[in-house]
Amino acid sequence: MADGERAVVRTLVAAILALLAGALAVRGIPSRVAPAPEDRPEIDLPIRQPMQLLGPGARLRIGDLTPLIGEARVADWKKAHRLPFEVRDCPKLLEWIAGPDGQRLEALSGELRRGTRDEALAALALLFQVARATRWDPGFLGHGEHAERLGGLLQDWLRAWAERSASDPLLHEPAQAAALLYGRVMRAAYQAPMLRRAQAPYERARGFLDGLLGGRAGPRTAFGESFATRRPRAWTTFLERGDFLLGFEEEAKLALPDLDGECGG
Amino acid sequence: MSARREASSDLQVLFACLAIGAGGLLLGLQVDGNGSLVGTGYTALGIGVVVALFASALQAARGAALPRDPPGILSAVCGFCGISFVVAGVLAPGGGWMFFEVLLLLVLLARSKSAGPGPQLGKGTSVALALMLVFRLWITYQGSERRWQVAEVDVPIVSWIPLPFLDPIRSVSLGEFTPREMGFPPSGLDFPLSMTLWSAGFALAVSGLLWRASAGLERENDRIHAIIHELPPPLALLVEKILPEEDWRALGLHGLPERLLRKRIQALVEERIAQRRDIDQALRSAELLARTSPGGFAGEIHSALIGRERPAPRVAER
Repeated sequence: MADGERAVVRTLVAAILALLAGALAVRGIPSRVAPAPEDRPEIDLPIRQPMQLLGPGARLRIGDLTPLIGEARVADWKKAHRLPFEVRDCPKLLEWIAGPDGQRLEALSGELRRGTRDEALAALALLFQVARATRWDPGFLGHGEHAERLGGLLQDWLRAWAERSASDPLLHEPAQAAALLYGRVMRAAYQAPMLRRAQAPYERARGFLDGLLGGRAGPRTAFGESFATRRPRAWTTFLERGDFLLGFEEEAKLALPDLDGECGG
Repeated sequence: MSARREASSDLQVLFACLAIGAGGLLLGLQVDGNGSLVGTGYTALGIGVVVALFASALQAARGAALPRDPPGILSAVCGFCGISFVVAGVLAPGGGWMFFEVLLLLVLLARSKSAGPGPQLGKGTSVALALMLVFRLWITYQGSERRWQVAEVDVPIVSWIPLPFLDPIRSVSLGEFTPREMGFPPSGLDFPLSMTLWSAGFALAVSGLLWRASAGLERENDRIHAIIHELPPPLALLVEKILPEEDWRALGLHGLPERLLRKRIQALVEERIAQRRDIDQALRSAELLARTSPGGFAGEIHSALIGRERPAPRVAER
């Protein structure tokens, strides 16, 4: 055997042994749970515990957002951000939002949604408080329009921020909560009629969530990946052909128990 | 010429082993939900090793060759590892299916004929392994979408009635399994990337095993050829005419140690030459030719020519 040929054989034998050893070693590579964006130690959040701004204690912290609102919107913010916290007697959502306070708040929320991510969080905090303080549950008479309206407001926010939130430590968790609440209110609208089902909100939610999360007709979006990992029950039913919002409602009832469409009553 | 042929078949064995190693590496990896590479674990590999061990033992009991030189040893090790990797890569993750698959593979591998050292993979076994891989990929896909069953079948009539309270009985789940059985990483599985890795790994490892079998056959033929060509060239050519290369495997020459191989070749040559002599003798025999006499006028002439005595005429003829 020539020297060159011998060198080739030695190289091949070394490569084979390395590959066989590698094939055994790689099987032991452990899986690590990657920290959520908000858990990364190097991140300095402008707002601590952003989920508190979506919870029942939001009235205690909503003022923390004021320094983060841009100059163009801060005046409107100061005038309107307390409005949903002053709602009393659980009015119907459509009635309240059609009133002067509701209109100012809706306009402010739309402006904030088009702003920075801090402002987007402020917009979502206001929407959650509206959902908490007004009645959107269809009730016995099956008025699904309130839930559908709230779903529309959440849908606008999710369309603008959900995908960007996938790697955002500030909005990551709030966006997931918004998706759960969206699923819950749209299911309420779908189930509103007494004897049949409302197909319009059902189909709208189907089309919107398919685009937002992916996974059914195409690859998952970044937000869909994160949602599937964190909300497996909602994801499982989302992939079903039937009542795909069932898992959203189940998870929302656990994660956001006070957002029941009846002002927590 | 012979040395070059041996070097060529040795290189083939090495390249086949390279493919097996690369395939094993890919079959040992998966991509989790965070996009990180994660190992597929040692449990399935353990079952693969047990299957390869049984296959080796059964093939050895049926007279498989033992490795006799460094390339042969490497080939045997790669064959063993390759079968372990492939079996580990295609097995259903748990439950009754896995038991059935292991049993089927054992039967198929035990029936494979071994040409060289180490366990061999037949073509039928490769097809069965490919089908098992498809099944594994399907249930992995189902699991990656968090559907924990092989299939869901709609119940006729009930599934057509649009009443929500019928939802729980609209469909029947077939073959349920759990995430634990699947061995998924905690952050889920990136199915497209993992499927690509496993399919490529399977293709490489099975091609390597089949290539190794073919190269092993060639190596054995080269070894027998070299022994025959120790004879003077005209004699070697004559022996190769008496024992053609296509018959070597069927004659049991593959896998024999050198001393036994020489004895076997010697015995076969003697046996075939003796057979040939018998045939020649029989063909030359006058008695045999007489039996082919067509009779009548031509037969009389034929008998006269070969010097056979005519039978005495019967009384009636007189």
